[in-house]
Amino acid sequence: MKKTVWVLVLMLAINCFSQNKQILYNFTSVPQSLLTNPGADFKYNFYFGIPLLSGISANVGSSGFSAYDLFAANGVDFNVKLRNVVFSTTRKDRLAINEQIEVFNGGFKISGEQSNSYISFGMYQEFDAMSYVPTDLAILALDGNRDYLGKVFNLGDLNVKAEMLSVFHLGFHKNINKNFILGVRGKIYSSIYNVSSTNNSGYIYTNPSSAGVYEQMIYSQLQLNTSGIAKYDDENYEPNVVKDITKRAFLGGNLGLGFDAGFTYYPKKNVQLTASMIDVGFIKHNKEVESLTYKGTYEYKGVIPKFSSGESVENGFQDFKDAIPLDTLYAAYTTWRPAKFNSSVQFSFDEERPEECNCLDYNPETIYKSAVGAQLFVMTTPRTPLVAFTTFYRRKIFKSLQMKATYTLDSYSYNNIGLGLSSTFGPVNFYVLADNLLEYRDITKANSLSFQLGLNVIFKNRKK
Amino acid sequence: MKFRAFNRFLGILLSFFLFSCASDLDFNQVNDVKIEPVIVTNLAYFDVLANQFVTNGAEQNVIFDAPTVDVFNGSFFRQRLKKVELFFEMENTISRGYSVDLVFLDRNNQPVHAVNLAIPPYSGIENKVTKTEVFENTQLDVLKRTTRIAFTMTMLPGAALSESSTGSLKLRSGVTAYLVVE
Repeated sequence: MKKTVWVLVLMLAINCFSQNKQILYNFTSVPQSLLTNPGADFKYNFYFGIPLLSGISANVGSSGFSAYDLFAANGVDFNVKLRNVVFSTTRKDRLAINEQIEVFNGGFKISGEQSNSYISFGMYQEFDAMSYVPTDLAILALDGNRDYLGKVFNLGDLNVKAEMLSVFHLGFHKNINKNFILGVRGKIYSSIYNVSSTNNSGYIYTNPSSAGVYEQMIYSQLQLNTSGIAKYDDENYEPNVVKDITKRAFLGGNLGLGFDAGFTYYPKKNVQLTASMIDVGFIKHNKEVESLTYKGTYEYKGVIPKFSSGESVENGFQDFKDAIPLDTLYAAYTTWRPAKFNSSVQFSFDEERPEECNCLDYNPETIYKSAVGAQLFVMTTPRTPLVAFTTFYRRKIFKSLQMKATYTLDSYSYNNIGLGLSSTFGPVNFYVLADNLLEYRDITKANSLSFQLGLNVIFKNRKK
Repeated sequence: MKFRAFNRFLGILLSFFLFSCASDLDFNQVNDVKIEPVIVTNLAYFDVLANQFVTNGAEQNVIFDAPTVDVFNGSFFRQRLKKVELFFEMENTISRGYSVDLVFLDRNNQPVHAVNLAIPPYSGIENKVTKTEVFENTQLDVLKRTTRIAFTMTMLPGAALSESSTGSLKLRSGVTAYLVVE
């Protein structure tokens, strides 16, 4: 059963958890590219996504090890594989899953003869989980401290977050003039649940000592914040998960605000520059909040009899619990959304004379058959930002089929090749994008996989 | 024409998935997890000065204390403990010999284990005795019942100590706990 779940997760969630949508970005034959740049050069009279099918995307990523490393049915003892994984990863290695499903999505052009303004709107559900490999804690659990005298185990290695939320968004983009498009998008986040433990610090060490056998110290600043799950802990509560999720998804959860902004600029007809900032926003958690903390300092000295001269130190487990107590807090807290920055430069060539001149349309996807370019992606994480660099080649294969191939360098891999196809048959647009294609030779060995697909209906401006 | 384009599109899509494959994975291996951490920690420590054996000019031949010890408490620890090593080191820099008894007592004050360390008087050269004891199986089960340790130090016959005598009697003791977590 477990296996089935895992395989499902892998199948559904084939992707790089960095949330880098390098194939979708600026692939303007797909309406969802507006979500990666609200100032994308996407023109339409109106469009709508097929509800629940317009945008499905998922990523799984693990920078240090693959499912194969841990779970391969190759006869090697699981404990050996576990040790290999723990000792070959570092605290910088991450595991992440991101999944998005668009519930609805649409857009229209603001009417008027000279209007070059567009509205887009929608709602999507997102699940996001990320954990760094807690290397030091894993080593301590596997081996204990005997062979690590003098080593300082870092409790800050524990760094985990998970969130399910729904996002309502409303975007606006406008051709300021014929070679400059500016767009903004406002977002309301409704958090269904949140678990985060990302600001931990502290250490445990054991040193040889002359007073006592060891000098043994724990300094702990651990905190786990949760919202939306506290009541499931209560035995008297009869959970109705579906009802709870639905209610919280539709603005009944912990709310937050955010915005996206971006632009597209054509310094020359065949040169395009774009940039965007996505998910600059926060969520204020004040409903159903529960936080657990372990904070304090404790030095374990063992039993110290003082004989007749005074009180013995019966320094034991109770002292430890008093020194580093488990506290439960109910204070509101704020989480920041992972902010994403995208930018691109693109050179188009292979000009194609359109049958009818559309002099206003600068979009290279309609004028040029081919383009090459580069993109940069940066995302904030609880530690150092994640950076990815992509080069791409875009080609119109037929009038109805656009292709974009990408090569991406990031901390997960140096050989990430991606391919996106977007077909438009009449008003129906279908797209499928996948990266890390080389990993499909054996997906169990993949460090990161991503997948996006969807179905839209687009009505373009046909006149003039 | 459109139909042909769509076919080609499907063709590209399908050929992509045809090349994909997956090795066999076995997630039930998680049940085979067996980790065996070895944890070291302090058991006891004291450093008694020579003059503590003298009260108002009179020697105290025996001094005693029996503090609580809860190293073996906590059910997680108890159940997974497979082997314990106790390490003792006495160092004497007092010019008198000592016999030190550590008696491990259960909650009914019944002895479950006893350790005796005898150490000769200090004569200017390093004066240490060490002892390591290993507990497994039944012996370990008995040891786990310990709730207190009674420390008794008995001065052996020799030259009398005074308030101004120098040196100290030092005990360092540690535990090495072998756990098996399955």
